[in-house]
Amino acid sequence: MAREVLLPRTLDDLWEIFHAEPELHLYAGGTDLLVKLRSQPPLPSGSPSPLVCLERIDGLKGIYEEDGLVCIRACTTHSEIMKDPVIRQHFPVLTKVLSLLGSPHIRNMGTIGGNICTASPAGDTLTPLYTLGASVEARSCDSGRLMPLKSFILGPGSVALQQGEILYGIWIKKDHDFNIHHFEKIGQRKALAIAIASMAALIKLSGEGTIEKIRLAWGSVAPTVAVSHTIEDALTGKPLTENVLRDAMPLVTDALSPIDDVRASAGYRRRVATNLLLRLLQYKDA
Amino acid sequence: MKRGKQVPFRIGTTTPRCDACTKVTGQEKYAADYYGDHFFWAGVKRAGTPHGKLLKVNTEDAKRLKGVVAVLTSEDVAGSNRVGIIRGDQPVLADKKICYAGDPLALVIAENKEALQAAVGFITFDHEPLPGVFDVEEALKKGAPLVHEDSPEGNLLRLVSVETGKGASAFDECDVIVEGVFQTPFQEHAYLETEAGWAYLDDSEQLVVVTTTQTPFRDRNEMAPALGIDVEKIRVIVPYLGGAFGGKDGIAIQCLLGLAALHTGGVPVKMWWGREESFLASTKRLSARMRYRLGVKRDGTFHALECRAYFDTGAYAGLGETVMTLGLEHAGSAYRIPNVSIEGSCVYTNNTVGGPFRGFGVTQVTAAMEQVIDMAAQRLSIDPLAIRRSNALEKGDKNCIGVTLTHSTGIKKCLAALSEHPLWREKEGWKMKAEQFKKRGVGIACMAHAMGYPAVVPDFANAKIEFTGEGRFRIYAGIVDMGQGNTSTYAHIAGAMLGQDTSVFELVQPDTERTLPSGSSSASRTTYVYGNALIIAVEDLKKRILDKALHLFCSAQAEELMLVPGGIRHREGKKKVSLRKVAGLFDEPERTCTAHFRSPAATEMLDRIYLGPHIIFSYAAHLSYVEIDMLTGCAEVIGYLAVTDAGNVINPQAYEQQIQGGIAQGIGFALSEDYKVANGHTDTNNLATYIIPTAMDVPDMMSVAVDNVEETGPFGMKGIGEISISGPVPAIANAVADACGIRIGRNPITAENIFQALQKQDDQEKPR
Repeated sequence: MAREVLLPRTLDDLWEIFHAEPELHLYAGGTDLLVKLRSQPPLPSGSPSPLVCLERIDGLKGIYEEDGLVCIRACTTHSEIMKDPVIRQHFPVLTKVLSLLGSPHIRNMGTIGGNICTASPAGDTLTPLYTLGASVEARSCDSGRLMPLKSFILGPGSVALQQGEILYGIWIKKDHDFNIHHFEKIGQRKALAIAIASMAALIKLSGEGTIEKIRLAWGSVAPTVAVSHTIEDALTGKPLTENVLRDAMPLVTDALSPIDDVRASAGYRRRVATNLLLRLLQYKDA
Repeated sequence: MKRGKQVPFRIGTTTPRCDACTKVTGQEKYAADYYGDHFFWAGVKRAGTPHGKLLKVNTEDAKRLKGVVAVLTSEDVAGSNRVGIIRGDQPVLADKKICYAGDPLALVIAENKEALQAAVGFITFDHEPLPGVFDVEEALKKGAPLVHEDSPEGNLLRLVSVETGKGASAFDECDVIVEGVFQTPFQEHAYLETEAGWAYLDDSEQLVVVTTTQTPFRDRNEMAPALGIDVEKIRVIVPYLGGAFGGKDGIAIQCLLGLAALHTGGVPVKMWWGREESFLASTKRLSARMRYRLGVKRDGTFHALECRAYFDTGAYAGLGETVMTLGLEHAGSAYRIPNVSIEGSCVYTNNTVGGPFRGFGVTQVTAAMEQVIDMAAQRLSIDPLAIRRSNALEKGDKNCIGVTLTHSTGIKKCLAALSEHPLWREKEGWKMKAEQFKKRGVGIACMAHAMGYPAVVPDFANAKIEFTGEGRFRIYAGIVDMGQGNTSTYAHIAGAMLGQDTSVFELVQPDTERTLPSGSSSASRTTYVYGNALIIAVEDLKKRILDKALHLFCSAQAEELMLVPGGIRHREGKKKVSLRKVAGLFDEPERTCTAHFRSPAATEMLDRIYLGPHIIFSYAAHLSYVEIDMLTGCAEVIGYLAVTDAGNVINPQAYEQQIQGGIAQGIGFALSEDYKVANGHTDTNNLATYIIPTAMDVPDMMSVAVDNVEETGPFGMKGIGEISISGPVPAIANAVADACGIRIGRNPITAENIFQALQKQDDQEKPR
């Protein structure tokens, strides 16, 4: 049976749709949802619930600076963010991640809000946003609220949006002082790959090579992005050397809880994600 | 074709292919591009379960749905309901049994796609599940469940064995014996164009099927008895294919489309498989398990070879046994080996359906043979290139099944060119430059690939060329162009002979009513066999044109005239007459020239191997640069070289496209492609889970064509379509072994596989 797709142009139109039709599938880009729907068997009878496409709402697009913060509105595409000079200047880790996300076609379709709300353990934008300490803003027709991204993502495919609420934007502080922005993704191929494991790292490295501050996040190795203050604390104040990193590796292994799937085994994911820490050595003399 | 600069075709000079512009601009009409004002959609309900006795297909609920025109089962098939070019063991619609998860149970015809999809969902079936058989060696054990109860040798479809010299007893005379077990998985063709078609009954009640196939004439012969209609009442038309690679060699969608068109009351019907259906129901490269033993003398001379191979043909025979046989014929790759014992079993299972795939069995055995050679070289501390050079076949030698090579045999030339190439000469320096946590290795592999059908299968083509009233040339290509560019090369050949450029050529794609039977688009044969026939036809036509033109010149001899782009000129004088003017002098029957060519075939040793041996082979030597990431196990191909002897080159660009395409597909097979079937079900059912390489995963590929002429070939060429796919698996595996000392023996060599092997190696090296 044919499915209805609604294409609101303004947030007011959207709130009206919400009011009239509470059972909706929201999407922004559709690169995950449309694939998922295609693989579902057709319903034996009746019409499936309508889809609401958010990506044509102007108020949900664009990148803005405000009081030392950058706001990426939810329906900004990966390509737009990747090309944005403000993002490139302040959050190069995000630019790097996006250059490895999917393919040019997927980056042109997919949006950052969609990637977050899909809440896949392999969602590429999540690890850099965790390391950057991003917050998200949810809005409904009469209110808005801010919360850390970490609290917004509840588990695989699950986010803290309430009925009538949408993800409005992502807020990131501009004034961090990390001088190393690192991201690596292990996939089954170099493009159009879903991560088997990934790691984002932000480091403030002193002139003498001491790790003054570090943020680490791993993707695809736990139900949500894996972070660990224990590891970050263990590395802080230490010189960036192979021994220091190797000493921290058992802590990483403990922090991960990967699964087996068609792409890789849990054991491989755990060991490789741990090994990715050693890649930080390339910045030793940078 | 648009008139550009008038540069006539020349043999050995690159000319962009005739189909390039219409394809990239979207003007070319593929089988999926047929629509009409009023037409129906057809689709299939598939079993989804690998083995069972089919009791009943329940179609009543589906039939009652709005928009459903008909729901057909095996009872609606008027003919034998069986296809399969050798054994005829595959039903059009399953009747008694389900033999694999993709078996079609019912065919739905509906007014639109939505009704079609809903109706397929409403079809159920009653069956008695049977224990399945999913492993080739298990399948051959006594008491294993039988895929076909009426198969004379149970699950063994065919056993082929070849012994030469002293056979395996010659191992006693060897100084070094190396052995290994090698496995290659099912490979999905993953062509861009999934199976599609358009069919209808025309005014004369003839069934017209426009579809995706490599075998139009053979299909017609198979469809007629299966559907119970006269072969003369079937017309198969094949537009350019969007890829096939062997996967459209034989019946897949053709009978279903035809059956649907017989039940629409004259309304055209369209069918177009989705990606998942194509993955499920199309054939796969036969997976293989091969036990190899190579015996070598101390000086590196190959003395004895033993190969025990099991090929999984899946649920139906198709061409599975011929795939295995061609593999076994190449079990010794491109070398002299005086004593061999080769034995292969082609086995039925409930896994999927095996079939042709570029390389046709040779890719599997080459993966094994070229790795044991490196193992032997390492044991003897002989350079892997040197050991290959000293054993490489030469014209006059006997190949591994004992057949004397009487045609061009250029493997030594390939190895010589490889040894002089900078990638070979500079390899040690490159290896040393590996960064932290990286290791680098270089691997080589040789390969041979037979051209054409085996000896007892007549390999012929019938060319047809028409000089139209407008003074243009229309070539009727009876062999499908699945993307390899063979029909474009036909224009190249004719153009070079007639002094014409692309603008005066029209290419008619296969149509059983308009073009002449010329066999399948397969076996690296399309340009060789049709090209040879075309040369005869063009010579005939050229003579006719010059003879006619004499009337327009004050000249007594045809030899004084020459063809120039768009016309005819006197060699000395300035006078030029347009082709159109000459064409006006032709009577209708004189316009068309046809010619028949039959490829040379072995006349001796026909019983040496099933269907007889081949006599013309192409050869190649490949080299790969591979870097291993020791932190992840990821292998990256950094550089690749293919040196090929496929005779003389007609169009360098088309030649290189074939080489590069085969390498890219081979890299996919080596590193990531794995159609995994567990208990008859697959998790790799789409392009998100079945990992083909992207442009990012393929390095710059260098192609060198050695100077060698195949005397029997059109302008000295021989087949180029398949050979390059057999190189990457062993060349990359050998590079991985060179880089870090591990040999996995099974492709794809994924990062995880390498990583695990490295761990194992690490554990073994640790002091206890």
